[in-house]
Amino acid sequence: MTSPLPNEDFLFSRRDMLRLSALLGAGAALPFAGARAARAQEADAPVRIGYLPITDATPLLVAHGRGLFEAEGLRVEPPVRFRGWSQIVEAFLAGQVNVVHLLSPITVWARFNGGTPAKVVAWNHTGGSGLTVAGDIDDVAGLGGRVVAIPHWYSIHNVVLQKLLRENGLGIAAPGAAPGADEVALVLMAPADMVPALAAGQIAGYIVAEPFNAAAEVHGVGKVLRFTGDVWKDHACCTVFMHEDDLTGRPEWSQKVVNAMVRAQLWTRDNRAGTARLLSAEDPRQYTPHSPEILARVLDPAPADHDAYVASGAIRHPEWLSQRIDFQPYPFPSYTGELVRQLKETRVEGDRAFLDTLDPEFAAGDLVDDSFVRRAVEAVGGLAAFGLPDAWTREELVQA
Amino acid sequence: MSAVDSPAGRFRPGWRPALARPGGRQLAHAGLGLAGLGLLLLLWWAGTDLLAAEGSFARRFSPERALPALAGLAAGPGLWLHIMASLRRVLVGLGFALAIGVPLGLLVGVSRRAAALTTPAFQFLRMVSPLSWMPVAVLVFGVGDMPIYFLLAAVAVWPVMLNTSAGVQQLNPHWLQLSQSLAATRSETLLHVVLPGVLGQVLTGLRLAIGISWVVLVPCEMLGVQAGLGYFILDTRDRLAYEELAAVILVIGVIGYALDSAARLAIRRFAAGE
Repeated sequence: MTSPLPNEDFLFSRRDMLRLSALLGAGAALPFAGARAARAQEADAPVRIGYLPITDATPLLVAHGRGLFEAEGLRVEPPVRFRGWSQIVEAFLAGQVNVVHLLSPITVWARFNGGTPAKVVAWNHTGGSGLTVAGDIDDVAGLGGRVVAIPHWYSIHNVVLQKLLRENGLGIAAPGAAPGADEVALVLMAPADMVPALAAGQIAGYIVAEPFNAAAEVHGVGKVLRFTGDVWKDHACCTVFMHEDDLTGRPEWSQKVVNAMVRAQLWTRDNRAGTARLLSAEDPRQYTPHSPEILARVLDPAPADHDAYVASGAIRHPEWLSQRIDFQPYPFPSYTGELVRQLKETRVEGDRAFLDTLDPEFAAGDLVDDSFVRRAVEAVGGLAAFGLPDAWTREELVQA
Repeated sequence: MSAVDSPAGRFRPGWRPALARPGGRQLAHAGLGLAGLGLLLLLWWAGTDLLAAEGSFARRFSPERALPALAGLAAGPGLWLHIMASLRRVLVGLGFALAIGVPLGLLVGVSRRAAALTTPAFQFLRMVSPLSWMPVAVLVFGVGDMPIYFLLAAVAVWPVMLNTSAGVQQLNPHWLQLSQSLAATRSETLLHVVLPGVLGQVLTGLRLAIGISWVVLVPCEMLGVQAGLGYFILDTRDRLAYEELAAVILVIGVIGYALDSAARLAIRRFAAGE
């Protein structure tokens, strides 16, 4: 893939991808599995959270910040901040952290390509991402012949972007080739680099997690063309990933971790402004470097924002009543199945043969263990507490 | 990259800095150095304030913004904590590099067989960016300070070791013959002839190691630590706070310069009697 930028980045670069591929390859995973086994002997390990400083980490950080793990009787260490998906996955595989949030397609990849013995236990959040474009672009078709940045090949962002492009008759340019008029070139980029790259005109847009869409708005370098949650209703973006050792070896502990996470989501729903403050650089714990204003734009938007987005076309399904970012923990099986189906149609780099043979329904059952989260949700009053119908199934709505 | 590449070794003229010269020229050179820094500042200002388009992000790097940002950072406690964390990591890494590199360098320098055995392997390892070891570092040393010590030591050990062994090979053979004729034991020879003789080279290696450690510090501090200048740089990027980023670049440059000056001073002080 040619990048118009000097992509020296260690976070989400092509090299990063190769490293992760190698890491998750069968052979390379062995020494990590060995280290895991050594770590697993620490039967009473405290909760060790790994996270990236983006809004995707909200429930884990709120659970820590509000003392919800301790309230469950758990010992917990200060969350460890990482700077890229590679590093968080490496630390998780090495057993250095035992509760992480990961992009849902990364978990598919980790389990079915790398054979990682870990499962999704809950959803972290829904929505929370957007497609931001330069001021001269008014619709998806306007991206033809241009370059768009994505954070990771195995990201919900890549999946939703390519869905949008397909629906608008645009293809993906071959790696290294300049995009034709009816193609879009994709480039991997760290979220922090996307905003200046857009400002400098090196890319026409990017699709990424918050608060980097809000950052472009606040800094006046771009506008949100679509929210991902307006393309795929209430889609999960990040999920909570835990080691199978912990799930089978100490189920009570795992249950308490999930309980705390679920209670954190409930608290966040009722305290959106407080959450923005808690996660910001103004809180002494310094969970993220972001300002409370930018976080509040995502977590606690003014009602007028919603109307403006409906008017601009960033929200085309106002009847979905989607929030810019929302929180509910139950991992609907239909989502995982649909995700695998969508991934099969999505262009990704690296060895993707496993996707062709992966059965969506099998994947939904094998990747996710929803037993803990079901008990946790029932304990707080069922899905109704999260504003959802009281059913453990739903229909996936994916509409460009 | 090091004196080993040059037959003249430690006698390269550039290593005897301006400080060693008589007063008048010393002053003139200091003046030239200041002029160079002034030129750099001018280029910086021209790049961010004249060449960059109005409203572009490059303007946020401007010295007119960075210098006030630097003053603001220096007034608070945060920057100093980051500096201390980074300095501690670099010094610990250098300590490991010395503890491993000097004995290894002596061995390789003394024994032709050891040199033949290890040279290809060491040259191979030396060329691998320490950042490639990141997954291994996390696997073996976990997250936090330990993997960073490892990565910094992994980058700093080579110049120390290679310069030490080059120093041994360049020892004046007459000294060794003299110590033999005086019936010195091996340890006496090592302590009183070899070590003082290679000190200058060890310090030169250390000086190179300081430079390269300081350079790789920023990416190393991505590995799950909660403080450090590299960590802070990544934070400023996440916040698009480029004036603070430019300020931290200044801090990194000044501290790196100070460390290098200290090493040069040590070379002049301890290697002067060769």
